[in-house]
Amino acid sequence: MKFGQLVIAGLVTGSIYAVFAVCVSVWYRVSNILNLAVGDFAMLGALGVDDLVRVRNWPLPAAIAVTLVTVAAFGYLYDRVVLHLAQDGRRVHEGIVITFFFTFALSFFIDGVAKVLFGTDVHAAPALWSGRSLSLLSGLHVERAGLLVLACAVICGSMFWLYIRYTLGGKAMEASGENALGARIVGIDTRRYRRIIFTGTAVLAAVFGIIESPITGYTYLSGATISLTGFIAAAYGGFRQPGRALVAGLVIGVTEALLGGYVSAEYGDTVLYAILAALVLAWPRGLGFEAAVGG
Amino acid sequence: MSTETPALAVTGLSVAYGAMVAVHDATFALAPGEACAITGPNGNGKSSILMGLAGLVRRRAGDVRIFGARAPSGDVRWAARHGLTLVPERRQLYPGLSASDNIVLGCYSWTSSLAKARRSAPFGMALELFPEIRPHLGQPAGTLSGGQQQMVAIMRGLASDPKILAVDEPCLGLAEAVSRRVYAALARIHEAGTTLIVVEEAPKRALVICARRVEVRNGVATWAGEP
Amino acid sequence: MKSFRPFTVILVVGVVVVVAFGQQYAGSVFVLALCYGIVTAGMAVQIGFSQQIVFSQCVFMAFGAYGVAMLNTHLGMASLVATPVVMVAAGLVALLLGAVVTRASGLALAVATLMLPLIATGYISSAGYLGGSVGAPLTGNLWPGSSTQSIAIGNGLVTVVILGLVVLAASRILSSDVGLELYVLGVDEPTAAAMGVRTPRRRLELFVLGSVFAALGGAVYAGTQLFVPATLASPTAELALLMMLFVGGRRSVLGAVAGAVAIQYLSGASNWVSVNILIVEGVLLTAILLIDPDGLAGITRSLATRLRPRSAVAPPTPSVSSAPPALFTPSALPSPHEEDRVLLECDEVSKEYGGLTVLDDVTLTLPPRGLFGLCGPNGAGKSTLLGIIGGSVPAARGRILLDGEDVTRLPPQQRFGLGVSRTFQAVHLIGGRTVLDNVAVACLTSHRSGLVTRLFRSELAAARQRAAQTLDRLGMTALSGRDVSSLTLESQRMVELARAVAPGPRLLLLDEPASGLSDAERRRLGELLTELAGLTCVLLVEHDLDLVAQISQRIFVLAGGRLVFDGGPADFRTSPVVNSLLVGL
Repeated sequence: MKFGQLVIAGLVTGSIYAVFAVCVSVWYRVSNILNLAVGDFAMLGALGVDDLVRVRNWPLPAAIAVTLVTVAAFGYLYDRVVLHLAQDGRRVHEGIVITFFFTFALSFFIDGVAKVLFGTDVHAAPALWSGRSLSLLSGLHVERAGLLVLACAVICGSMFWLYIRYTLGGKAMEASGENALGARIVGIDTRRYRRIIFTGTAVLAAVFGIIESPITGYTYLSGATISLTGFIAAAYGGFRQPGRALVAGLVIGVTEALLGGYVSAEYGDTVLYAILAALVLAWPRGLGFEAAVGG
Repeated sequence: MSTETPALAVTGLSVAYGAMVAVHDATFALAPGEACAITGPNGNGKSSILMGLAGLVRRRAGDVRIFGARAPSGDVRWAARHGLTLVPERRQLYPGLSASDNIVLGCYSWTSSLAKARRSAPFGMALELFPEIRPHLGQPAGTLSGGQQQMVAIMRGLASDPKILAVDEPCLGLAEAVSRRVYAALARIHEAGTTLIVVEEAPKRALVICARRVEVRNGVATWAGEP
Repeated sequence: MKSFRPFTVILVVGVVVVVAFGQQYAGSVFVLALCYGIVTAGMAVQIGFSQQIVFSQCVFMAFGAYGVAMLNTHLGMASLVATPVVMVAAGLVALLLGAVVTRASGLALAVATLMLPLIATGYISSAGYLGGSVGAPLTGNLWPGSSTQSIAIGNGLVTVVILGLVVLAASRILSSDVGLELYVLGVDEPTAAAMGVRTPRRRLELFVLGSVFAALGGAVYAGTQLFVPATLASPTAELALLMMLFVGGRRSVLGAVAGAVAIQYLSGASNWVSVNILIVEGVLLTAILLIDPDGLAGITRSLATRLRPRSAVAPPTPSVSSAPPALFTPSALPSPHEEDRVLLECDEVSKEYGGLTVLDDVTLTLPPRGLFGLCGPNGAGKSTLLGIIGGSVPAARGRILLDGEDVTRLPPQQRFGLGVSRTFQAVHLIGGRTVLDNVAVACLTSHRSGLVTRLFRSELAAARQRAAQTLDRLGMTALSGRDVSSLTLESQRMVELARAVAPGPRLLLLDEPASGLSDAERRRLGELLTELAGLTCVLLVEHDLDLVAQISQRIFVLAGGRLVFDGGPADFRTSPVVNSLLVGL
């Protein structure tokens, strides 16, 4: 059943988009910064684990632990040094346009470091749940890694939603993004929340990179593509709503697979992008753009 | 002046934003339960005094003691935990969050449990302060009118269970009838024993509940005596 | 003239470098950098001033490059001849594309244009005739010469001249009256619209300008490099262009060119740098953004002001005649039946916001002169009514008539053109510019002129003259050279008022101008408003009922969206309806 298989494949790639879209959304909602380096942290996670396991022969759990800790430390330091200087100093930088470029510079930096550490070949972390693809009903197959990504995405998304809705800390985090001065007035340490979320999304991205890389394989440049697709999916979720970003990622993945299968293998992606562009232009408010105007 | 520890003792306070000195010298003290108005022309430092007291801006010089304890400079959490809460100029609410969420976040300074905050006495009292807000509690704060937002801001302040409530220009942009409601509520808060500081551009209103007045001119605050 | 300075710099430096190093490697890197410089110069105008991120320049650069390559290879056209052809084609495409794309703004615009490099790359890599994913070679040099020597130097000189012309055009536009329009557009679009700037048109013009310059850069690239790589249209190429722009200075044309040169030389500086270029660029961009978001140009400017301290004096303030002129010349002379004439008519105006009725069948009329107060409890709809009259808020039902003409569907820019001027509750001045320029924004006459005409003429001086006259009449000449962000609140409100008054409006809408002012300041404002009332029609939204009752001829009271009172100040003070709503007098 071609249609079904395409949908499954689409959901798998879509869940990858979705996950990174959620990271971008969550980060934006809390800090008002668009993080273009999300994909690069994913790439670091995957290539880091691969390097430790394949080249240095470390056991998998240790490799994962060390990689994640390193990514967390790096994220923490970046916030402590660069974002602190950019946002907490006397000079407060204007809007999205500038802060966007900080993460853009960060992504260049990470890619360069990855090139030095891991070389230019394609690699992937070892599969966490190895085995042949699982078969679902009537001859449909799905890769185990894909299922894992989807499951993790849904779990993380729900946990975040619960946190925001049902805990005071979650509301405090939201408040930091809505009005930093207002948040400080009630004693919220906005800088600490920003640091937590930045480090958190970096680690989360790394985790997803580790889980997902066996499907496609990564190079040191893959980070840019992942960030881009995450950004696009998050955009269609309106940037502030991780739930919608998740759905947007899945829909984009499925549409891409269907277009590639039914319309044209060559031009499928091109048609997809044209549709996405037309959607934004025709229906900006419906996609939530009014709420996230730049400049 | 009684010999008990003053609720708030400010000596030689100076506040600057970068190179611009907003407050040169502010010295005054409040007994517990007193209500004091801070008046003076705009742009002369009234709000900056409150910002310095609340810890939102670092002190350039001077000493601030809350119930005898010396406040570290620029530490908002410390001030909140010692009982000083600021209701800022222009409200500074969270427009996308509901009015109820805005108010409950006032409890952040003394608890980290949402359930405890919702069940607490301060939160309950905050809700009773302006019953007209009740039907709007689920609405995003950004969609409320100016007067309603001011009420929510004061409710948020009250939810933190303050011993000293500092209110900055509570009636900016509000119509007369709403201003009277706001002042009636402030009077009730004062009667319940909270020490009150009100920054007011039009002193007439504040002096109904405030016994004393601090006049601020060009960054220098002095007692203006009994009205 | 100031706008010729960047042009001269480019020509002098460019010619010297090309002649000295033209045949060496360093020279060829320079020429390549200048090709990018043509593109980034356009981006400085397009992105730097409109503050809207657009990701389409690499696509147009590729369009220009491939265009020249195809014309050269298939039609045998010389590259220098093909270049203007390609520019015109790019202009047409940009016009069509821009008309669709610039309807969006902010993030929507960014995301929509982000698709363009992706679409272009997808198309190019599958298009055989373009050379697929490799690229297109061509044989036509920009400078048709015989020896490699003359070709190298010739190419270089032509590139320098073209870049110089591009920079000249950009500088002339930016320093013209339209340049001031663009500046305001970039900082605060709604205020720009309220001041008469045709924002949709300007944004389209900026898009076309940036795209045409990008195509020109691509054409020169093809003619000098003789190969068009398929990656020219990719997102990576776009990011590289943005890197050059931000390192050099997004709001400076010369800075943008310098950024391109800096990045190109950096890439080839040493073996280590070229291998680790990503790390170097990442660190460089971060460092520059932390020091100054306006890049190298901003840093240079700050250093220059610190090393050469100028006295705190304004740019030349136009001289003003000694006799105090009239506050402004009213646009219509008083006619014999003045009192009967109706200037503004609101006819059953209604407005809802998500289920909430904000205005309910509001009907009122105003004559051509006088001062009228609009009061009411908060949330009663006063600011909304002003917004509807001014054009920034669309009415759900009802009509607005100005001098008998139905203007209900007109956007704010056109109402401004008809003589409607307003202030806002929060001060909406343009920081980083002087008081004089802020007021001059309202006196610009260039709204209907195309961007391109500003290459040849500018009426900025006349606008500044008009602004100076208004400031003089209001006793504010001493402030005219100061940056508005350094003023006190009272002064800022006065500047906003001056800006609203300067164009000589027929209808002046003031939204709580007394808010935040002391008693003395209010008295001064009251005197000024009374004087204005003799010259034009002033509608004043205010909470200070004492002030309103003192100076208004008639007062309107809105409550719950409805007009509940319409009468003179004496009736206002005694009306029971008013007293129950607004007690305070």
